[in-house]
Amino acid sequence: MRVAPAAAGLFAMLALLACDLPRDPERTLERVRERGIRAGLADAPPWAMRRAGAPAGVEVELLEELARRLGTRVVWHPGGLEAHLAALHHRELDVVAGGLTSDTPWKKRVGLTRPYYSEELRFGAAPGTPPPTSLAGVRVAVRAGSAEAHLVRARDAVPWRVQSPRGHPLVAAAAWELAAWGHRPFGEPLHRREHVLAVAPGENGWLLRVEEALAGREERVRRRLGELAKP
Amino acid sequence: MRVQGPYRLPEDKERLRRRAARLEWISLGWMASIVVVVGLAMGSSQAMKAAWVEDLLSLVPPVAFLVASRFESRPPSERFPYGYRRAKGISFLIAAVALLVFGALLLADSLVALARGEHPTVGAIDVAGRTIWMGWLMAGALLYSVVPPMVLGRRKLLLASRLHDKTLHADASMNKADWLTGVAGIGGILGIGLGWWWADAVAAGIISLDILRDGVVNVRRVVEDLMDRRPQTVDGDEPHPVATRLRLELETLPWVRRAEVRLREDGQVLIGEAFLVVGDPGADLPARLARAGELARGVDWRVHEVVVTVVPDLPPPA
Repeated sequence: MRVAPAAAGLFAMLALLACDLPRDPERTLERVRERGIRAGLADAPPWAMRRAGAPAGVEVELLEELARRLGTRVVWHPGGLEAHLAALHHRELDVVAGGLTSDTPWKKRVGLTRPYYSEELRFGAAPGTPPPTSLAGVRVAVRAGSAEAHLVRARDAVPWRVQSPRGHPLVAAAAWELAAWGHRPFGEPLHRREHVLAVAPGENGWLLRVEEALAGREERVRRRLGELAKP
Repeated sequence: MRVQGPYRLPEDKERLRRRAARLEWISLGWMASIVVVVGLAMGSSQAMKAAWVEDLLSLVPPVAFLVASRFESRPPSERFPYGYRRAKGISFLIAAVALLVFGALLLADSLVALARGEHPTVGAIDVAGRTIWMGWLMAGALLYSVVPPMVLGRRKLLLASRLHDKTLHADASMNKADWLTGVAGIGGILGIGLGWWWADAVAAGIISLDILRDGVVNVRRVVEDLMDRRPQTVDGDEPHPVATRLRLELETLPWVRRAEVRLREDGQVLIGEAFLVVGDPGADLPARLARAGELARGVDWRVHEVVVTVVPDLPPPA
């Protein structure tokens, strides 16, 4: 049969090529080494933000670390998320930090990394407050203007929209926030947000480098989130 | 209404049929595992999506074969006096139309991707604690999808011509051509790896053309079958020699001056009419005609029922 030699040949070819694949159609990986990483920065605390004018946040730190590994630097472009993603689609930016999650509707037009952090939204009880046995009709504090109220309502609880849920007896917030505030999580998670970075579409060599930089960072991200949540 | 007699395959053919059914069950198992493996590794490659759709569609002919086998063997009834042998043709028509439609959709998809200059993004995956490019996994899955259909296709092709089963034949030739899909898919993935963004859409285009071709060929074939085309060889466009053999056999009868037959394929069996010009009808004509009918059935295992009539004259042979 012709199959066996063909397969063997294919394997040999793969092994030979494996060393430096995948390559970028637009040579992004080579170019970021020359001109720096062109990064869009959209306000999304604590993932990406500006503190005293300087870029800050979890994603900013991850990208600065990547730049150090590649022996280059990050050129930050502050702006709106939508404009950044449009620029990314046309490869005018190399990466965007803006608190994106894996179910962004932009996923068809830009490249997404795998989740570097999985954020759980949970109910929390303040110290000294016993978790209720049933959530039906219970008032739960949520951050006003967030999507959390909807999730709380879906569990038959009554959302109480406040400026900051911190210090309220019963709250719904991200697990890392609950930990920072000293609230005890209870019940099933309400929702899960898989946080990702967006990269220029089709630049697969570049994407692989970003992925390598993100791999195994979950624990560190969790710790940094805790530090950022404390005032 | 007079119901047709039940048809039973000769013993040796029945054994072959059971072997074909077993092969189709094995095909189903293999192809389902391929659909799962390729589906899990799919990612955002257009070529891989096309390959996956083809794998998925290649489940249909075995299912059609196995489902239709159940119906086919039912004896003819008052309601269906010709039996259930068309079941296979009907299920295969559905499969062929599905191939046609999906082939066309995928082709349009790839052309749009090409025209828009869409750069496929293929990320990373962790294997044994190391971050590797997802493309390797995708190519591996496609490699897995190449071998089983080729092996199965060869074995089914052999059975198909011995059983004269067109569903099986179409299924087998689709399987045999499946390696093209896998190789094109792997080419697309490697192309992405080499930084040729267009390679993926081109590979997808090749695969969808292959699906489309399968669809066109099979729709034509099955429509011709359902249109009662003359009996043909299973793998070619030639008229099947059985019609001539049947005519010559009938003409060996001493009381027959000339004979002509009209046959059609009904599933894998043949039914039709024989027209005889006789010299001296004699007193026992009904018995003679019955014997002629028996003679006709003995010519080939596929001949099931030939209605014999006497005509005053036949047009001269063409």
